[in-house]
Amino acid sequence: MLEIKGVHKTFNPNTINEKKALTGIDLTLSEGDFVTVIGGNGAGKSTLLNMIAGVYPVDCGRILIDGVDVTRLPEHKRAKYLGRVFQDPMTGTAADMQIDENLAIASRRGAMRTLRFGVTEKERAHYSELLKSLDLGLETRLSSKVGLLSGGQRQALTLIMATLKRPKVLLLDEHTAALDPKTAKKVLDMTEHIVARDNLTTLMITHNMADALRVGNRLIMMNNGKIIFDVSGEEKKNLTTADLLEKFKISAGEDLNNDRMLLS
Amino acid sequence: MKNVKRLSAFVLAAVFICMAFTSCSGGAKKYTIGICQLMKHDALDAATQGFIDAVNQELGEENVDIDTQIAGEAPVCTTIVNTFVSRKVDLIMANATDALQSAMQATKDIPIVATSITSYGVAMDVEDFSGKTGINVTGTSDLAPLDQQAAMIKEICPDTKTVGIIYCSSEANSLYQVQEITKELKELGITASPYSFSDAADLRPVVEKAISDNDVLYVPTDNTAANSTGIIDGVARPKKVPVFSGEEGICKGCGIVTLTIKYYDIGFQAGKMAAEILRDGKNPGDMEIAFAPQFTKEYNKEICEELGITVPSDYVAIGD
Amino acid sequence: MFFSAFLASLPGAVANGIIWGIMAVGVYITYKVLDVADLTVDGSMSLGGSVLVVCVIGGVNIYLSMLIAFAAGCIAGLVTGVLHTKLGIPAILAGILTQLALYSINLNILGKSNQALNSDRYPLFISMRFTPKTILVCLGITVFLIAVLYWFFGTELGHSIRATGCNHAMAKANGINTNRNIIIGLLLSNGIVAVSGAMLAQYQGFTEVNMGRGAIVTGLAAVIIGDVNFGKIFKNFALRLLSTVAGGVIYYIVMTLVINLGMNTDDMKLFSSIIVALFLGIPYWKNKLAEKKVKPAKESDENA
Repeated sequence: MLEIKGVHKTFNPNTINEKKALTGIDLTLSEGDFVTVIGGNGAGKSTLLNMIAGVYPVDCGRILIDGVDVTRLPEHKRAKYLGRVFQDPMTGTAADMQIDENLAIASRRGAMRTLRFGVTEKERAHYSELLKSLDLGLETRLSSKVGLLSGGQRQALTLIMATLKRPKVLLLDEHTAALDPKTAKKVLDMTEHIVARDNLTTLMITHNMADALRVGNRLIMMNNGKIIFDVSGEEKKNLTTADLLEKFKISAGEDLNNDRMLLS
Repeated sequence: MKNVKRLSAFVLAAVFICMAFTSCSGGAKKYTIGICQLMKHDALDAATQGFIDAVNQELGEENVDIDTQIAGEAPVCTTIVNTFVSRKVDLIMANATDALQSAMQATKDIPIVATSITSYGVAMDVEDFSGKTGINVTGTSDLAPLDQQAAMIKEICPDTKTVGIIYCSSEANSLYQVQEITKELKELGITASPYSFSDAADLRPVVEKAISDNDVLYVPTDNTAANSTGIIDGVARPKKVPVFSGEEGICKGCGIVTLTIKYYDIGFQAGKMAAEILRDGKNPGDMEIAFAPQFTKEYNKEICEELGITVPSDYVAIGD
Repeated sequence: MFFSAFLASLPGAVANGIIWGIMAVGVYITYKVLDVADLTVDGSMSLGGSVLVVCVIGGVNIYLSMLIAFAAGCIAGLVTGVLHTKLGIPAILAGILTQLALYSINLNILGKSNQALNSDRYPLFISMRFTPKTILVCLGITVFLIAVLYWFFGTELGHSIRATGCNHAMAKANGINTNRNIIIGLLLSNGIVAVSGAMLAQYQGFTEVNMGRGAIVTGLAAVIIGDVNFGKIFKNFALRLLSTVAGGVIYYIVMTLVINLGMNTDDMKLFSSIIVALFLGIPYWKNKLAEKKVKPAKESDENA
């Protein structure tokens, strides 16, 4: 479903601020894979997701989504294949627009924006049902401005928007990191529910090792712009956080350094 | 909501205060005149002053109530004349082209006396202008005697073959003067070429180009050029190129000689015409557009001496 | 005397205010919807006037001339949009560049700096000569314009433009071509401003290459006055546009009042700038003061 071949990325090349963010990434995700990504500060996790989404061009290498080479497509054209949820709850939604308008924009991801009505009555009814089924208490507030919602509500809404039109790949960039633990759990539960319901291919960066182990069928660990550990299936299920830290030490030759990493 | 109330309260309060003030005045019937001047500028100020002096002299200061407004820019003229019209002033004085255009658009009934207009035909968009407007408009023109100015160039510098004309492209009246004097010069066998600039920032290279192409320069009556004579002088004088000018202010700054009108004079003449309309009931549409009553031959002593130019004895030095 | 004179000058102020209010609607689209400060408007206002006058004098039907003026404004917006999105020039600078270029273009269109448009010779549909009819026509145009914009910003394309102005990252993540949308918004905005310039040229009976100088400030003043006075009660997009036009009308009523009071009109620009600066600054300081009075954190996110 997602193929990444030999992707390199260096920021500010040939300057004092030169930063080799990705140094040869090869990764293939099969249909329905739910991959969690962990790694230290500056390991290249977010850069990897941004490369897939097309936020910056790659230096070399190729990215294929469902067999289509998207390496040279600009961000807004790749969006056709991707659902994205960001770390900052403010990033994924348009605050000055209504809930239903945000959903309607998301449902047209990848489609021509025409002069037809931006949101129809039929869609509103559908959104109302959808929100009700997810128990967010938002189904009666379709006409509210998104800016009035709490961070957790906005992140939940972003998740719904990212999956409203089934994406080929769902990219989650530490999407629960900015939320309080209770809300983070709710959003993560909802994520698992939606991914399972739609059988989505998912790449999720997380700072929570327990989550990384519990959720998904595969785990990759990154360090210095490389994937240093890739585990799936039964082997992943049997891992503990202590195993992970040990694995990191062996592969990277140093202790895992992530100031947000939660070992709980 | 609170703001709406506050605003309306403010407006009402302001209105009542002003009513209280204005109701104290009153008395015998006065002629009310609204003056709309396009912008603050020496020449236009002089014309307005001339107008006020003439009106006060003809009608008596105690019998006229004059409101002078300076727009600053064209669209504001509209608001000003609109105020005059709704106040039902007895006469509107429009000083400069944009003011006249706004005023004639605002009213067909209230007499309008204009001044500082170079060409009424051009300003009012009338073809085959006859000298009378036939409507509620009359006034005075600030058109310099371009034929005599052309002759003046020939008189002072008889060998002149080419003249570069410097003017500002955003001035309403300059282009007309450029076209007219070009015709006059052509009859004298002199080739004139226009050099336009948009503001003081690009004036210097334009003047340099004009100097390298021509024997002498001519600057018509042009407000922007009048404000930037230092630049013209700074380029022309070191190259010993004589600059002829359409009016006194420019000559004072960078010219050698001019045949000039006095804006005070045309304003004064307009004031007399206003008095004839108000007191004698004359119809503005039947009154001929008036020109400056006299022209003054002037020269800039300092520049002429430096360039080694001797002027005929009927020229007077500026400032004397 | 003063009161009646002021009342009598109100219709003119209203007509003038509506025309500038329509210009402010154009400013609203860039400033509020797109979140771009577009300085092209000073030039496109004059452009609208120049194009209309040249067309009308050239014998083109007055309504068609208005359309041509709209199209010309759109092209000006397109240029700014291309400079900004394709050449990466900051929006403010791109607007200034186009505005400066338009000075020369307007001079070339007009052939001179000032051209009278005699309402006795041409079939103008708005003019100071017939102010009551002009107010009706201007109101009609306003209602039509707001209706069309209300519809447009409710379409899929309109939604995507609003999302672009609100949140670039969100727009791109949802497959919206933000660069194209910025161009469309600038195009539409400058088209509307040019229509306003075309109306102003008819109303005042002439056009002038510097006619639009400082229009951005007047436009912002109208947007802000409308927002401050009606923002709390008018939430709907169409009503917000309407309050912008009302802001233009209030601006001109105050200006007429100021002139009636005999204040020096030289200082008008200074006052406009101060008013705009104050109204832009007050919300900022309100927030600052609110931040100082920090309230204890409340339990949030209960619904998430």
